[in-house]
Order: sequence, then C-alpha cells, then structure tokens
Amino acid sequence: MKVLVCVKQTFDTEAKIELKDGKISDAGINLIINPYDEHAVEGAIQLKEKKVVSEVVVLSAGADKSMDAIRTALAMGADRGILVKQDIAADEYSRAVALAAAIKEENPDLILAGHVAADDGSSQVPTRIAEILGLPHVNVITSVEIADGKATCSSEADGGTQVTEVTLPAVISAQVSWNEPRYPSMKGIMQAKKKPVATVDAVATEDKVKIVEFSLPPAKEAGIKLEDDPDVCAAQLADFIKNTAKAEIKA
Amino acid sequence: MATNYLYSIRDHQFILKEWLDLEKILNYDRFKDVYTVDDVDAILTESFRAAKEVVAESNDENDTIGVIFDNGKVKVPPKMKEAYHFIQDNGWGSCNSDKNYEGALPRVIYEAVLEYIFGANEGLACYYMATSGATELIQLFGDEHLNNLFAEKMFSGKWSGTMCLTEPNAGSDVGSMASRAYPTDTSGKYRIKGTKCFITGGEQDFTENIVHLLLARIEGAKPGTSGISLFAVSKYWVNEDGSLGDINDVACAGVEHKLGMKGSATCVMNFGENNDCYGWLLGSPPDEDGRAAGMAQMFHMMNGARLEMGVGSMAAAGVAYYNAANYAKERIQGRKMTDPKKGLVAIIEHEDIRRMLLHQKAHIEAMRALVAWIYYIMDVAENSTDDEERKIYKMLLDINTPIAKAYNSDVSWILTGDAMQVYGGYGYSEEYPIAQLMRDVKIHSIWEGTNYVQAIDLVGRKWNIGKGQGFAYWLKHIEDFIEKEKNHPYFSREINILTAALSSYKKLKDTLSSYPQAGKAEFLGLYATRVLHATAQLLCGRLILEQAIIAHNKLENLPEDHYDYPFYQGKVEAAKYYLRNVVTGIEAVTAKISEPDSSPLDIMEEAFFA
Repeated sequence: MKVLVCVKQTFDTEAKIELKDGKISDAGINLIINPYDEHAVEGAIQLKEKKVVSEVVVLSAGADKSMDAIRTALAMGADRGILVKQDIAADEYSRAVALAAAIKEENPDLILAGHVAADDGSSQVPTRIAEILGLPHVNVITSVEIADGKATCSSEADGGTQVTEVTLPAVISAQVSWNEPRYPSMKGIMQAKKKPVATVDAVATEDKVKIVEFSLPPAKEAGIKLEDDPDVCAAQLADFIKNTAKAEIKA
Repeated sequence: MATNYLYSIRDHQFILKEWLDLEKILNYDRFKDVYTVDDVDAILTESFRAAKEVVAESNDENDTIGVIFDNGKVKVPPKMKEAYHFIQDNGWGSCNSDKNYEGALPRVIYEAVLEYIFGANEGLACYYMATSGATELIQLFGDEHLNNLFAEKMFSGKWSGTMCLTEPNAGSDVGSMASRAYPTDTSGKYRIKGTKCFITGGEQDFTENIVHLLLARIEGAKPGTSGISLFAVSKYWVNEDGSLGDINDVACAGVEHKLGMKGSATCVMNFGENNDCYGWLLGSPPDEDGRAAGMAQMFHMMNGARLEMGVGSMAAAGVAYYNAANYAKERIQGRKMTDPKKGLVAIIEHEDIRRMLLHQKAHIEAMRALVAWIYYIMDVAENSTDDEERKIYKMLLDINTPIAKAYNSDVSWILTGDAMQVYGGYGYSEEYPIAQLMRDVKIHSIWEGTNYVQAIDLVGRKWNIGKGQGFAYWLKHIEDFIEKEKNHPYFSREINILTAALSSYKKLKDTLSSYPQAGKAEFLGLYATRVLHATAQLLCGRLILEQAIIAHNKLENLPEDHYDYPFYQGKVEAAKYYLRNVVTGIEAVTAKISEPDSSPLDIMEEAFFA
C-alpha cells in the first residue's frame, strides 16, 4: 500500500513579512514545511512503522526551494519525493490541478495533507485534489485506522468526536491533534540525501483567482505621555478616552 | 517562564560556507564519503530547531525545579531528562565523539550544534558533554575489553559519564588528591576508595548506569600529579556479558546548592565507603619509578571540556545579546539626545545602548570566530595525512585551548551584565531571561581549571611548547595575515591597529618572559590573566578582521535593500569596533608590564582586613 503526502513549503511562522514591489518577499526568509503538513507526514510514517503501508512518497509543488521541504520530510522518514515545478504564485486551483496530475501518475492508495496552510490559510488544496480525482475526502482528522481497503477517521465535531469511514483511495487531511511530528535526526538528514526525488513540470493551467494587492498592518505607534499638572493631565486623559479611543464607559 | 531562546544560525553559515576552508576538512578520508558543504544548512537548521523547540523548553526547570537530593538519590527535572534523551537519540549528542561512527560530524560543524544546545540549556549541555568526554577517554586509552564494556552504551547516551578529579582538599592542586586504588587478583581491576566533589552528573535518575572516569593513586605510585592513574568506575558493576550487576559501592553524599545551572546535579561522591568499589585501569599501571599516565589521559578530556566551556559561555552571552537587542528595539523610552523634538524613541536609538549592543555583538562574533577556528584546527590535527601539518596544528590547538576557555568565559560573564544593563531594571528581574543566563554562565570561568590556571598554562607552558616553535607558528598566523592585507584600502586603520598590537604583544611577551630569570617570577602570576586576555584579543582581532574583509567584499556587490546587507554590514562594523576599542588595549597591557606594578604583592595581608 502506497501513501502519498502533499507538503507545502511555507514561511517560518516567526518570519517577519515584508513586501517588495507589492509582493510578499521571501528574501532571507527561513522556509519550512507547512506545520499542518508535518502532521500528515508523521501520520504516514507511523502507518509505515505499523506496517499498514509499504511506501511513503512526499509530493510538493513549487519552486526549486520546495526541495528543502521534501528533504525535511525524507529526513523524518519518508521514502522518496516528487517535486512538481510550478510558479509559487499559482492559485489554489492551479496548485491542486498540478498535484492531482502527479498523484494520478503515482496511483496511491491514500493521499494525506495538512488541512490548511500556515501562510495563506485557504484550506482548499486537499479538497480540490479530491474533487479533481473524484475521490472521497475527509477533513481535519485526528486519527485514522486503515483496514480492508477502508479508512476509519476520527475528527472533532462540536466538542465531540465524529467517526467517518471512506473507501480507499481517498484524500484525508490532518488536524494538528492527530500526532506529534518527529524532528529529523542527524541520521535521518544524512539518509535523506540518498533518497530519490523526481522532478516534473506542472501541467499547464490558468489561475482562476487573481491577487489584487497585499498590504501590511499599520506599524504600532508609540504611546502618548501626558506631562502637565495632574488636573490638566486628567482632563486630557478623559478627553482621549472619550473622543479618541471612543471607549465605552460604564458606571 | 523567563527563558526566551533567541539565536541565529547566520554567523555559522558564514563561518562554514564563506570564511573557513571547510572543503579541506570534508575531503579528509573520514568525512569525504559522508558530508559535503551542501549539508551545512540542513544540519544547522535542524540542530537549531531541536535546541529551540525541545532543549530550550526544558531550561526553566533548572530554576523552577532544580535537582532534588533525597537519601542518596538525585532527581533531575523531568523535561531535562526528556531533552537529554532527545539529543542523544537524534544524533546531536555523544555519538559525535565516537571516532568510529561514520556519521560523526566534523568538530568545526559540531561547534555550532554545541553552541545552540548550550544556549538553550546550559545545565543540560553539561550532562552529555561529560558523557562524550568520558567515553572518548575510554575509546582512546581503554583496551578492547573496556571498550566492549562501556563505549557503545555511553556514546549512545544510554549510560552517562562523568569526570572525577576534584576532592575536598584537592581542587586546582590535583596532585594532592587522597583517592587510592588497590590492585586485585584480576589484571586491570582495582579496588577504589576516595571522595570526589563537584562532580557534574555524579548521580542522576535518567540513565540506567553512570560511568565515572576517576583519578586515584595506585599504592606505591609517585606523589603529585605524575603518580595518578585513571579508572573507569561504574555506578553499577558491568558484567562481562554487558549486563548490569550490583551497585558498585558508589554513593552520592549530597548535591551543591549553586548560583546557576540548578538542574545540573553537582555531586559529592563517595567511592568504596564499604571497601567494595571496583574500577578498571585505563592504560598501564605506574612504571618502576611510580610514574602513571592518568593525569595526561585526563587532560584529553579536560582540554575538550575547556574548549566546550569556551563555546558554552559564549552561547549564554549570545542568547542574552539577542534578547537585549530585541528588547532595545521594542522598549520606548526617552528622547534622542541629538534630536529631542523627535519625541519618544525606542532605546536602540540611544548612543549608549548602541554601544552596549555592538560591544556584545563584536565580542560574541570574535569569540565565535575563535572557537570555530580552534575546532577547525582540531579537525586538521586529528585528520591530516601530513605528519608535519598535524604536529603544527596540534601545537596550535594546545596553545589556543586555554585562551578560548578563559577569555570567552571571562568576557561572557561581563557581556551578560551588559545585556542586563540594556534592559534596565527589568533585566534584574527573574521574569526576564538575562538573570538566569548570568547566573548560569559564571561557572565557566571557575571549573575545568580556573581561568588563572589557564593563564599560567599559557605563559608558563604554551608559550614554550615545542621549544617555542608552536608559538612562533601562532604568531606567524597573524604576521602572514597582516602581510597579505597590509595595503587593504578600506581597512587600513584596522590593519595598522593590528600591526601595532602584534608588535606590542611581542614586546610584552619578551618582557614578561624575562622576569623569572631576573628573580621576579611573581610578575608572571600577577600579569598572567591580563596577558591571556591580550593574547585572545590579538588573535580575535586577526580572525574577525579577516571575516570583515570577506563581508566587505560581499557588500560591494549587494544593494542596500538586499536582505543579507545588514548581516554583512554588521560584520564589518563589529570588526571595526573590536579592533578600535578592544585590540587597541593591548598596548596598554604592554606598558603596564614594562613598568610592573607590585602593589597587590606589596600590600600587607592585614591591610585587606583593616
């Protein structure tokens, strides 16, 4: 049984976002595997450790830099990788089309991914892949059991748990509470160098969504220091609360 | 929770990929089929991540829980245990000291890993560094039997190791130790009796066995350090099949209550209270004159530990610095002296804050250059196939080891004070991270041979190593650099400073060296510490200036808005600061030594108490 894990390379969640020429600049930014996808990688590796699956393939679409995300997943324990070369600005539709084409070639029994990307938060790609491939899709799962060609998944629902069952192949996207992703060990990093990674070009598509503009939140302003006689300061403060901050004052 | 692990891998990327000739190291037989320069980023990134996300998470428990001693048992904070095993299990720990392990990192790369882990938890790092060093001794000096008994389980971290030198009445004067070893009917096996103190990890509850590398005198051996032998003494006796036997009459009598590193168990250890403690001798018994090899063997571990303290102290100063810089950027306070109408500003705009920050940054980068350079030297000394090169680099390693240990630990203690000063009153509070870092870092100037011991080692032994040939190479390394860069158009001021400092240093060395023959040996002791600092500053000035020249060349091809521009610009300014404000001080030390001041010796002892 083969499991294929879709991973996206995203900015480090602590990275400082800067715009250059109206676009988000990745210059000097530490790039990581989308933290939600790490749970999918971990889940796949655990399935292999339990001998439920025999091969874990990591798939990513993006620029050459995305190879680092694949290598990280390989260092965690995945077996091989596929990089679909695609413009990093591609929208979710184009991304899903490109990934679905590669998945079709691989014909896996199970497709895993994180349920959302930490950078754009769109939560679209796994669902779109399932739609394109005509496969069932279970989202935000917190556990999965594989048996008899079916996946039994648990997910959080209204404070409780929902259990769903799908016939494989299926697309399943992970919630963070599924597992605790392992860190790549030194040995894993060195082994990852020797694992095969194929590179293919993305199928040609046309984006359906156009990003019009990026803007950053306004910079935090310094506080105001009132320096005068106490009664003057108190009046200024009251005026500020009432007219500038427009705070609701309750007796 | 006060811990805030802020650090950067960028300077290590520069050191390994832009400054040092890493290819030379990676082309050695031991590494050539394993590592390439392309692996550097992944190693730095993942080890840093491990330090930040796992090790640093355990740091608060140094203070909030600490070690608990109860009826001979020592409990270590739970997250410390987890972090210890995480480091060992994931290949970032003791396995890197195993010369037979294919995946062991070159020393110069491992320096970075070590720095990240030390910075994340100073107390934790000491547990596994002791394990690494102890196991290296067994691998180096133990026979096949001892290696089979101990090495694999220690390199994997399943068992830990310690270094047992100090005794209640034998600290810096190791030769006066009272621990004894008595032969048994089994070759190499001795009965051990003695008490050791200040033993890091002497007892803990996170490994199933602890192997103590212990110095003791075999009956009949010479007095002093030349008669001391080295033994592997395990907490639980290890049977020939590798299984654990009974407790080996090794007992912990208590733990020290310390200023810092409170999660690191510093133990008083009794060996053989019931005359039933046994250990294995490393190497041969004393010769017919009673001379034993134990002290020299232990120095292998000690020298490794000394370098590690140079790294560990710098790492603490580094974390303090990054926190101080971030705080200075966020803290709005006061107006600019030169532009008061601008309104309230972040304190990073104030002149004295900028001075303190650059003072820290320049020293940290200088110290990092120093230790990286020394580990590079160690890689060459251990792996070069050229006998002459190995010999020269071994001498350079011996010379530089006390310099890195003492200079980095002395300076880092002061730098954490500067970081605290940036914070103002909040820095003095335990709610912020500096206080713990300051408390943790102090020990590095005291243990593994006090910094005065290092200074005396430098001026008493290392200046003369190889009949002075070693230090001639040390000086030549600086002379050659000056000759190469003497006409540098941008750094002419700094080159001139370094040239003057080198000339002054040679005079300093000649003057101080002449005092013992003139019957003034006391000046050697009186000035040794200051001379060690001047020695470090001279070498650091050379190293950091070489880095700045590379950085300056990069700047010429980068637009100012390039993301890496601030990194290179920072390296240039840090080097300028170090040369102009630190290296210039060497001439003052020379002047003091040329006309020595004996007031510390002239003052009546009673006057200290009057």
